[in-house]
Formats: sequence, structure tokens, C-alpha cells
Amino acid sequence: MELRELLKHNSFLILDGGMGTTLQKNGLKPGDVPELLNLERPELIASIHQAYVEAGAQVVYTNTFGANPLKLKRTGKTTDEVVSAAVKLAKKAVGDRAQVALDIGPLGELLEPMGQLTFERAYDLFAEIAEAGASAGADLAVIETMTDLYETKAALLAVKERTSLPVLVTMSFEASGRTFTGCTAESMARTLEGLGADAIGVNCSVGPDQMGDILKTICRCTRLPVIAKPNAGMPDPVDGSYSMGPEEFGKLTAEFADLGVTIFGGCCGTTPEFVREIVRSLNGKQPAEREYDRVSFVCTPVTPLRIEGVRVIGERINPTGKKRFQQALLENDLDYILELGVQQEDAGAAILDVNVGYPGVNEVEMLPKVVKKLQSALSIPLQLDSSNPAALEAGLRVYNGKPAVNSVNGNAEVMARILPLIRKYGAAVVGLTLDSGGIPQTADGRVEIAKRILDTARSYGVADEDLWIDCLTLTVSAQQEQAAETLKAVRTVHETLGLQIVLGVSNISFGLPNRGLITQNFLIQAMHCGLTLPIINPNQTEMMDAVAAFRVLSGEDVGSNAFIQRFADVPKQKAAPTPTGKEELTLELAVMRGLQGDAGRIAKEMIQTEEPLALVENYLIPALDKVGDDYEKGVLFLPQLLSAAQAAQSVFEVIRTALAESGAEPVKRGRLAIATVRGDIHDIGKNIVRTVLENYGYEVIDLGRDVPPEVVVQTVEEEELRLVGLSALMTTTLPAMEETIRLLKKLPNPPMVMVGGAVVTPEYARHMQADFYAKDAKESAEIVKKVLG
Amino acid sequence: MQVNLSEALRYLGAEQADAELMASVGRVASELEQVAQPKWRYRIAEVEHTEAGQLAAGLCLTGEMAKTMLAECDRAALLICTLGAPFETLLRRKQARSMAEAAILDACGSAFVEVGCDAAEQEIAARFPGMYFTDRFSPGYGDLPLSIQPEFCAALDAQRQLGITVTESLLMVPTKTVTAVIGISDRPQMARIRGCEFCRRRETCTLRKGGRTCGAS
Repeated sequence: MELRELLKHNSFLILDGGMGTTLQKNGLKPGDVPELLNLERPELIASIHQAYVEAGAQVVYTNTFGANPLKLKRTGKTTDEVVSAAVKLAKKAVGDRAQVALDIGPLGELLEPMGQLTFERAYDLFAEIAEAGASAGADLAVIETMTDLYETKAALLAVKERTSLPVLVTMSFEASGRTFTGCTAESMARTLEGLGADAIGVNCSVGPDQMGDILKTICRCTRLPVIAKPNAGMPDPVDGSYSMGPEEFGKLTAEFADLGVTIFGGCCGTTPEFVREIVRSLNGKQPAEREYDRVSFVCTPVTPLRIEGVRVIGERINPTGKKRFQQALLENDLDYILELGVQQEDAGAAILDVNVGYPGVNEVEMLPKVVKKLQSALSIPLQLDSSNPAALEAGLRVYNGKPAVNSVNGNAEVMARILPLIRKYGAAVVGLTLDSGGIPQTADGRVEIAKRILDTARSYGVADEDLWIDCLTLTVSAQQEQAAETLKAVRTVHETLGLQIVLGVSNISFGLPNRGLITQNFLIQAMHCGLTLPIINPNQTEMMDAVAAFRVLSGEDVGSNAFIQRFADVPKQKAAPTPTGKEELTLELAVMRGLQGDAGRIAKEMIQTEEPLALVENYLIPALDKVGDDYEKGVLFLPQLLSAAQAAQSVFEVIRTALAESGAEPVKRGRLAIATVRGDIHDIGKNIVRTVLENYGYEVIDLGRDVPPEVVVQTVEEEELRLVGLSALMTTTLPAMEETIRLLKKLPNPPMVMVGGAVVTPEYARHMQADFYAKDAKESAEIVKKVLG
Repeated sequence: MQVNLSEALRYLGAEQADAELMASVGRVASELEQVAQPKWRYRIAEVEHTEAGQLAAGLCLTGEMAKTMLAECDRAALLICTLGAPFETLLRRKQARSMAEAAILDACGSAFVEVGCDAAEQEIAARFPGMYFTDRFSPGYGDLPLSIQPEFCAALDAQRQLGITVTESLLMVPTKTVTAVIGISDRPQMARIRGCEFCRRRETCTLRKGGRTCGAS
């Protein structure tokens, strides 16, 4: 029977047991490549498959866990050779007694942002494996022992897009309930079901005695069949043996049937005897009925977000009407966009709306770049906001977790373009209650459109809980009667359709004085009518206060704990005086003490009367110099130097914003590029240097980490730079630094090079023909001043 | 487990920190403790002394250091200890918010993974009552080459067990990860590791950068 049929029958399915540990018993040494045995000792691999089938396995995993181009590189064999051999020998060994699963394990290198492997490259590598396995005749694919949801998504997309094989996906969790990268079981389950896995579950890492809670969560959070493939307990470090015998293992594993698990097998340390014991223990058991926990949900791997009450969507990542944001987009200044994200997350946003559509910006390239940047330093889910389906698909592909999309509307063509993407990538989607006829002026008209969107979404297989309806806020100063219609529509959609409600709230007060008061009132009324997902500026305290109060009154904030917490700190903050009292605080003092907020506030006042450049020359630089001197003398230390630098940065941000508004050229003292050299991924030192240099007013082109020499050279040529800073932390990456310098010095007009980093010494810097050695960030600023002025 | 704050200050080059900075270090350290705890795996292997080097668990530990350190040992523990991915995530979050706190966190991380190594060492010692142990020594220090790092990690199944990978340039990721060898002997072992070359602080030591030494150990 075909596997998808087997799964539908809701009966038990038996997988095989450990391969790697079995091979070790047969003489495999650490450092050997087990996948080569498919070519060198096919009879051994075949006999293992056969033993598992005889023990009762209905599916065997091919010996291809590490058969990928990265791990096979040093063997001289291609992925196709190894995978084909493995699939064919398995097919031959088991005949029609069992199905052969193409086994796909982790690539062995970590994905961005932690590692160097890009999502796109990972996809290509998995595609190569999947295609090789499918053409060799595998019956299904399994993606297993994954610990990074992002890598899992790359693998799953590759199998789904490049083959028609059914695919089982299992990740490896620690007893704490998270994977090594912090992914929760709920995020894993809901994301992978959305992406179209055929069955999901857990393998490896722990024994069956520690897997129960994780499986319970997964069984609750998915409608798919659930897999349990545990280790034989934990290995003993002294003799390497696993702690659990076959009988205990079989009994404990089979007990997962009572949770609703239907697919069983063993992982490290298990043998055919373990599989036989599972079969024996399952005898007489029936798969338990499961109850699916239906909930509106978006997530990142670390943050599963259940929409059970009001959850704030931050609105700030949007160029509309914001010159500074537009400039950042045009200049590719992703750090500025990240800064807006950080502020909103820290202010309590649960989701961030992300809109980067602006004339002159290629949204199809920009949206995925911004998604990656934001996800590198934020933990909350994103709502991708665009009317461009290609941009949305590009963003959905690289998003790690389950995102939301903003938006579709009642227009049939729009739905036909966007809803298939929602289905394919398993996202939630906002439906605007408007169509080609515009925005209905009555609540009933909007509810009608909401119903139409709901029906269409269902026809595409989008679940009701993944459709969020936006009843549209109109400006009350222009169309006063519409505020009541919007609220009525919110109430009706909430009560009759039972869907989540989104509203862009801030628009209500446009053109009126004391906008905050109107917006806050509208927000409160809308929440009482059923608004759950207000799109607001979370930096506005009065809005967040209103949400906090609503949560108390609705009963969500049990014991008012969050509310008390929120306001317990307020008087303290207000009472805390600065050491010398606020009246005396000057810009220099604020910078020197690292008081970021105060420095920005004072700069905002001063820029009314002072020239931007004078602000820099007369106040900022002297303050930074004083801090630098104290650092040299050992009175202040690195964190204080950096605090001062960041306070200075907030002053620069005030200047940049003022200049963007007036359309003038930004203040720039000179430009240089900095990079952590090829092979090196320790970039905190380089980032420290950048922070300090930027706050002396230099424009720093940050090429990032693991930068190939050619990229540095190309940048210097294109940007006509006179100075380059290179950093290396490991002895193994010094040669890359040396090579970069050698190539730079070959240019017709070679730039000056300064070097630094843990392993670089003044002697070695000279040996590499670097022009300068900087022992720390402070010294790099002096060098830059010497070279660029 | 808790971060050793005075070690963190040393990594930061800020032993003379004022109360405010000390408080920041304390705050960052407790945040770190909430997010990540050191985890380790070790494996006990027989040591075979050969011309080429000391063989253990399929690894060949070459060089004078391994030879001297393991001279009286017939077994050794291969240890790997890490703060894991959550540390990296926290460090990225911090860098986007405050470089000052990020620098503190980096120092706390270096100190914390050593706390983990100490705890692992105690755990190992408890498994072998009456035996004696050498100092910990690591690939990349002395003349034990860093190039054994991939095999070292493979021998401990570090990717599956702890999520650790080794890049082509021999860096371990997540970055706050330490590998080490500890010799096990039936005779008392003297402390042999001395000087900057073996010091785990050598990469961040401000004295060493200034061309001086602390004179200790």
C-alpha cells in the first residue's frame, strides 16, 4: 500500500531502529564516513535492513544520514553516487516487504544567522539529495534528527518542490522540551504541518522515558500522524553503552500510543530486538483518539504565539510618510530597520508588521533581506505586509517559523494570487473588508466581504483560525459616521464568524489635535467589540497602557499580575534622579555617562538652534575624546566606552533624522570598510570597532564576517576607499587576513590597511604588511583620524 | 550554575571596575544564566602511546604537550563543553540593543563555559575515585594542533549530542564551546601547564597584548 494510504488508515506504522550505532558495532570508527559503506560493504548494510524488516519494520531508512555534498566533499564521491547506491541496495534487500525511506539528516554546518550557510544554499543541497533519492526509487523521504527549524524548512521545501515523495519529519528535542537551537515543540508542529509534511515527530536525543511531554505537545498541536523514534536511553560516557534494554524500551515506546502516536521506531543504540519489542508491546493496543488544539497562531522557533486575547502588532516598519525610513530603504540601511524592530519588541509588541514597499526599492529582494535581518536579533513573529505576490513569496520562503501576511481583500483576483501562497507556506493572512468596489460604507457591506473572503480561503484549504479580518479604520475627522460602522463590523465579524480581528488603529485620529486621546479611545472601544490584533505604535505608552488595562478587565491578566508589574516600576523610574540633577545635564555629560535617552533628548533641543556639524565638533567629539582618555588611563572600561559611543549614536540619529526631513546631505567625516576575514565568524570585536568609529562620525561600510578577500578588494575599488580595517580572532584565519592584504596592496592605488583582533600582534601586522595595528577600538579611532582626518 | 563574576571581569579587562559596572556585569550574568547553562559530554578512552602520538578514541594526539601530559596515563577523558545556541542568540539580541552589554555578555560567556568545564571535570573525577588527573589541555594550545578539532567533535558525536559543528576554518559553532583532554592516572599528576601559551585567557589578556605577563602560573 502506498504510504499516504497507510497513514490515512490511522493504524500503527513501524519504522526501523539505529543504523549509525549498529555500524559502529561492526567496526566503524569515529571520523569514518558511514555512507561510503553503501559502496564498499553493501552486503553489510543490506543485512541490517533485512534484520529490521524481519523484526517487524514496515519502513527502513537508507544509510544516507550524512550523504550530502558538504560531508562527502573529502571522500571524492558525489551525493548522487552514494544516495543511488543506498536506495537501490535497500530496495533490493527488502523487496516488497517494506518501504524504503530516503534518509536526510542535518547538513553538518549551521545555517545563518548562527552559522555561515545561507538558507538558499541549504535548500540547494537538500534538493540535490532529494532528487537523487527520488530518481533511485525511494518510496518516501524522511528528514530526521533536525535541531534547527530553519534547516528543517529548507529540507522540507526541497523535498516537496523537487519530488512527489511523501515526507516524514522528525526533530530532536532535549528533555527541556526545546531543541538545541531553542525551537519549541509547538512552533515545530504547527510550522511543519503548515509547510505540508505528511507526518511529524521526535527522534534521537533522549530515551522514551524523557520524551512523553514533548510528544504530548506535538499530538495536541497537529492533525498529522505523530512519530516517536527515541534512543535507547542515554549513552554512558565511560563505556559508551546505552542505558535501556530492548524490553523496557519497547514497553515505554509503545505507551506513546495512548497519547495518539501512531508511528514508532528506534534511534541511536537500538537494534532489531528493540523494534521487535515495540511490535510486541503494541500488540492489542489501538491508536488513541486525539483532540486537536485549534488556535490562531503564528510563531518563531523560540516564540510560539497563541492569539488568545489582545496581541499588539507593531506598525513602525513602514516607509509611508517617514523620510528617515525611506532614506534607510534607499541606502540599504538594514540596521536602522532592525533598530525600529528592537524598539517595538522591547516596548511589548507581540508581532511586527513589515512593509518595505517604496518607489526605487526592489521589494522582491528587500523583503527577504529585511526578514532575515529582523529575525537575527528579534524573537517575535512577523507579519509580511505587501501587495506584491512575488515579494510576499520571497519573504515567506525565508521566514523562520509561521508568519502572517498582510493582506488579501474581497477582490477575487487578489485572493487567487495570494491565497495559494498562504496555503503553501502555512501562514496566517489578514483579509481587508474591501474589494474592487472600494470600502463599503456600512458595517453590513464589510461583513459580507468578510464572509466572501472566508469562503474563498476555505476553498484553498486555509483554516478559519488562520484568517484574520481587518474591518478598516477610517479617519474620523473626515468621515465621522464611519467610526461607528467600523466598530459594528468588528462586533459582527467577531460574534458571527468567530474570526480574529485586525485594525490599523492610529489612522482614526488623523488631522485632529491630541491624537493620542482619540486613538486610545477608539482602541479601547474596538477591543471591547472584539478587536484582538490592533496594529499600533507600541512606543506610545498610552496605547500599551490601554491594552494592559483591557487585559485586566477581560480577565486575561489573571490576578492583574502583568498590570501590577507594568506600573510597579513607573514611579521608581520617574523618581530616579541623574547624579547631578536633570537641570545640569549637558550633552557632553549625557554622552560621557552613556545616557542614551538623555543624550538624544538634549540633542533634539539643541538642533533647533545649533548647526548639525557644530553639534558634532563642539560637543560630541570632545566628550568622546574625554571618555577615550579615561579608557586609556584605565579609569573607564570597554562597556563604558561603548555606552558613551551608543549615547553619541543617539545624537547622530537625531542629526540624521533632522537632515532627512530637511533633505540635506548627511554629516560624514570620511568612509572606510571593515570586515572580519574569510573563515572567521567571531565578529563582536569588529562590531565594537564599528560602534566606536560611527560615533566619531565616520561612515563605516560593514562587510560583515567571513568575508572573502575578493569582496574586500571589490568594495575598495567600487567605493574608492582609502582605508580598510580587518579583524581576525583565530590563528587559522590569519592566512586569510594576509591574503586580503596582499590583494589590496596589488591595487594600482592601494588603500591603507589597519588590522586587529585577538591573535594579531604588532609584529605579525608588520609581517603581513598592514599599515597599522590597532590594539583596541579606541586605538582604531585614532588611526582613522590620522588617515581620514 | 553561575557565572564566575571575577573571571568575567578579567576577561573584560576590567578588574578595577566601579560599582556601577560591577552591577551591570552582575545583571548580564544573571540574564545569561536564565537563558543558557553549560552542557557537556565526555568520553573515557584508553590511551595508547605510539611514535606518532597518543592514540585515544581513534584520535591521534600529536606533539610534546600530549606526550608529556599523558606520559603516566593509560586512560583519558575527552571533554566538550558548550553554552550552545541560546548564547549566540542572546549575543545577537544584545548587539542590536547595547554593544556595552554585548561586550559584557561575551566576557560572561567565556567565563561561564569554563565554569562548565570545571563542573564536568568534577563529575569525571567522581567516576574514578582514587585516581589522579592531569590539568585540562585543549587543541590549539601548546603544540596540540587545532586540526584535530573535527575528529575530536566526531569522537564525541558532538553534533547529535550537543548541536556543535566545526567550520572549514576549524572554528566550533556555537562559539562558546571548549574541547579538552584530561589524563587519568594511578599516580599523582603535577601541574605542568604554565605560561601564556597554555593560558585560557591568552586571547583576551590585556597584559599579554601590552607585551607583559602576569607572572602567575
